[in-house]
Amino acid sequence: MALQSYRIEREPYYRPTGDEIALFEAAHADRMPVMLKGPTGCGKTRFIEHMAWRLGRPLVTVACNEDLTASDLVGRHLLETQGTVWQDGPLTLAVRHGALCYLDEIVEARADTTVVIHPLTDERRALPLDKRNELVAAHPDFQLVVAYNPGYQSVAKDLKESTKQRFAALEFGYPAAGIEADIVAHESGIEPALARRVVAVGERSRNLRGRGLEEGASTRMLIHAGRLIARGVAPEAACRMAVVLPLTDDPDLRDALAAAVGACF
Amino acid sequence: MESGVALADAERRLKAYVAALWGIDPPLRPLPQDGDPAAMRPRFDDALVRLPAVWPGMDLYRAALAHVGAHRMFSRPWPARGLKPLLILVVSLFEDARVEHLAMRRLPGLRRLWAPFHRTEPSASLMAADLMERMARALFDPAYRDGNAWVDKGQRLFFERPDRWDDPDFSLMLGGTLAGDLGKMRVQINARGHRVEPPYRDDNGGLWLHDTPPEPPRDVDDPLDAVRPDRIEAEQSDRRDGPPRSLPRPAPFAVADAAAMQPVARHPEWDHRIGLHRPDFVRVVECVPERRPMSDAPDDRRLTSRVHALIRHAVVARPERLRRQREGDRLDLDACIAAAVARCQGHAPDMQVYQRVRRRGRDLSALLLLDASQSTNDPAGDGTVLDLERRSADLLAGALDAAGDRFALAGFRSDGREAVQWLPVKRFGDAYDEAARGRLAGLDGRWSTRMGAAIRHAGSLLAGQPTLRRLLLLVTDGEPSDIDCPDPRHLVEDARKAVQELAGRGIDVVCVALGGDPGTHHHIFGRRNVLAVDRVERLPGLLPAIYAKLTG
Repeated sequence: MALQSYRIEREPYYRPTGDEIALFEAAHADRMPVMLKGPTGCGKTRFIEHMAWRLGRPLVTVACNEDLTASDLVGRHLLETQGTVWQDGPLTLAVRHGALCYLDEIVEARADTTVVIHPLTDERRALPLDKRNELVAAHPDFQLVVAYNPGYQSVAKDLKESTKQRFAALEFGYPAAGIEADIVAHESGIEPALARRVVAVGERSRNLRGRGLEEGASTRMLIHAGRLIARGVAPEAACRMAVVLPLTDDPDLRDALAAAVGACF
Repeated sequence: MESGVALADAERRLKAYVAALWGIDPPLRPLPQDGDPAAMRPRFDDALVRLPAVWPGMDLYRAALAHVGAHRMFSRPWPARGLKPLLILVVSLFEDARVEHLAMRRLPGLRRLWAPFHRTEPSASLMAADLMERMARALFDPAYRDGNAWVDKGQRLFFERPDRWDDPDFSLMLGGTLAGDLGKMRVQINARGHRVEPPYRDDNGGLWLHDTPPEPPRDVDDPLDAVRPDRIEAEQSDRRDGPPRSLPRPAPFAVADAAAMQPVARHPEWDHRIGLHRPDFVRVVECVPERRPMSDAPDDRRLTSRVHALIRHAVVARPERLRRQREGDRLDLDACIAAAVARCQGHAPDMQVYQRVRRRGRDLSALLLLDASQSTNDPAGDGTVLDLERRSADLLAGALDAAGDRFALAGFRSDGREAVQWLPVKRFGDAYDEAARGRLAGLDGRWSTRMGAAIRHAGSLLAGQPTLRRLLLLVTDGEPSDIDCPDPRHLVEDARKAVQELAGRGIDVVCVALGGDPGTHHHIFGRRNVLAVDRVERLPGLLPAIYAKLTG
């Protein structure tokens, strides 16, 4: 009951690209901690929402940042007229009541914060709350899922080996052109033939990855372009607004990408 | 000529364009400038695309590259031996149309790019060149009606079978038929002087394999050559792949005196053939570069201040929350609660109930290692590659020194396994002062690149640093090589092993590649640890940005 608002009522659209649903279900059956790796906007968060819905579990999501402390995850004491009361943090909530706890962009969190999940991710399956002198045994339905983008080229942002090795991992990438076109058509409501053209724009930008662009257009960007087109914007203008301009400030690359967009329609 | 676009100005945009369209990045080179630029046609082969140095507009360049890219995707060269020139011309015509239609299936917008160049109109002319140009248009545009029987036949046969466009032999077959017809019409043709129309199409040289390839235009007198480091890379890459052809010149050392040059360490070297280290195989000698006055290249004030701001920001703008402070800008909730609980219980509360955010220093040491081998004397920008390395290092070091990051700066080169030279410019404990800048100015490029030994030596220096993060940033313009290693793979595998050894000790190794083979760099450093700089001239601005990003 405590997690009623964390339940997902309607099926989130997710188009599988391989056997990731079966793999995740197997990992979930064993409550194995799972790590989702992949570039930005390729569908990691959507996947976990879909799986939470499919498995009928509530989903507690925490977007990690570098100022996230252990007590932001675990909980803290609050003051009331009668004295202090303990307020569970999102992680404790999921552990107590049996939810999927999804830590998005886990590498952004500080190393001392990430270690609080260690006892939850091995045989102990328990969360010690040292401030309360309590050991919360995980609910049988609790499962921990983390996500991160391994493309960050920052030596300061990498998971510790001791954290990494606690997880099974699923790798996500941008889907194959046909599947991606289905996704763009479904999410934006444009015609499949047009969606294929938008996906071709995405491929053009991904060709520039490592040749000036750090990352090509994500599926999310392409959906944005599709939505603009569905609102009546001309395809080239929509791609310029949703793909070319956000991706780069380099005038040469912009020019090249805009010309390549022109070739797609 | 005056109102044209110069290839040199547009090159970066065009390279990105062809990469975006087709995922290929062939080097672009100017054609030698002789004769009428309007008569020049692009030319390509496996390695290069040559384009006129000046052309009327960007769209012409783009159309040419889209067309050449389509050939690279969909054509495969045929042997030309024994074929009549006329047959070659007509087959090429069909092949051009075939690959363009395949390209337009994928990227329909290309039609708008190419169509404006197909301007020829129906006429009664029976000149071969005119017929061919009209055929080119008829094969491009199914709605075009020519009226000439030969052109109409070609158009009909071509558009009857779009299902066969995937097959290169289709061009051969149709070309053979139509060339036969043209021969029977006794049309005079000047095959050698024939000019392909429309102008964006290449001269078909890349479509045919000649036993003795037509002499590629030599452009030694091209003034742009002097400032193109990557052309040297592409055309003389053999110099770096294997051992240098010419033995190092017995030049005097660039050191102050003999005492400054002393062996400091021996390191093992990995032999991939036996899967073992050869112990103590390489000797590292330290030679402090002679101090020279820093070059009087004008200081770019704006760049300097931008770099300083960037590094300062990266170094200090990392917030840290300080809890339980006597004063601060926010209440520390946990401390407040503890204080309130203590008061309820009748104890004296701890009044340190504030929190504040402080900018904190970083737990990081970085070693910037510069390649100082012979190849860094190659021209780049206004000077040499090494000049640019020096200028970038000076900018970065100045900013790091001002911001207070722990760093060291050194160069390396090798002359066989007994003489891997380590050229310290600034050690971790030292300040980056005029003496250090003088040593940096004294770095000169000579000899070879025994990378593994340099990486191991850098690792031994970094391992002694008391910080959590340790970073080796290696700037190189080539690949490992040395005079006593005929097998190019040996030093590559050794460098790869050295990188792995450092990673095992918790030292990150990142390579800033100014050239050389990306595949080799990826193999040595791992794909995500290689940052390729496509224009060496931009290094001074990029290197600090790379550093800030890596450590931010």
